[in-house]
Amino acid sequence: MANTLALIVTTPAYSNLSVTALNIAQSAIENGVELIGVFFYQQGVLNAAKYLSIPSDEYQIADEWQNLHEQHNIPLHLCITAAEKNALSDDKDIIETSNINDCFTVSGLGELVELTASAERVIQL
Amino acid sequence: MTQKHIGILNCSAPFSKPNAKDALDVALIMGSYEQSIALFFQGDGVWQLINNQSPQQVNAKAFLDTFSAFKFYDIEHIYVCEASLKERNLTDNFHIDNYCLLDQDEFSDKLHQLDVVYKF
Repeated sequence: MANTLALIVTTPAYSNLSVTALNIAQSAIENGVELIGVFFYQQGVLNAAKYLSIPSDEYQIADEWQNLHEQHNIPLHLCITAAEKNALSDDKDIIETSNINDCFTVSGLGELVELTASAERVIQL
Repeated sequence: MTQKHIGILNCSAPFSKPNAKDALDVALIMGSYEQSIALFFQGDGVWQLINNQSPQQVNAKAFLDTFSAFKFYDIEHIYVCEASLKERNLTDNFHIDNYCLLDQDEFSDKLHQLDVVYKF
């Protein structure tokens, strides 16, 4: 538990608070803080949209979440109830092919409880 | 694992944004996982507690009714900012029992005793 961090993201991908969340995640890793997971809730789930398209002269947040996940094995948990309210789904009955980015894990609020209980520090943006 | 003290700070009116419902969902899941949880109502969040609302008039779900289930989820610590009520000319004509009205210093003290605060 010592020196661990959980991040909660509630803002959409185009919000600078989501970028701040990534900056915190990257700083944590660089400074030896163990980031045990990022949980996406409310409009934060929109960070996981597969067809996210941010203008090319702006911060490419989707690429950065993917880097965080692939290079540092950070779990990116998506609240599926919030996701479905925001038109994101991996349910074959609703959508032929999932429109959720592959680097995100479909989870529920139970995961938020786990992260909150396990991390020494929690930051919500 | 040591039990953490978790607070949910409600600052939004019930029907203008999804925050109140989203906060309620977090509170109930925390309660059902037997976490130590306290609820705080401040600013426009106090509107969530006012009795006799008519959400059906704005086609909203009557999710405030679920507050009556808090005791079944062991959610027993509910703190309300008295100054926020006064600023809005409201009294504590609430649809819940077992809450504490606190002045701003006491409200702040209670928040500072927590390990984690989620704000909605």
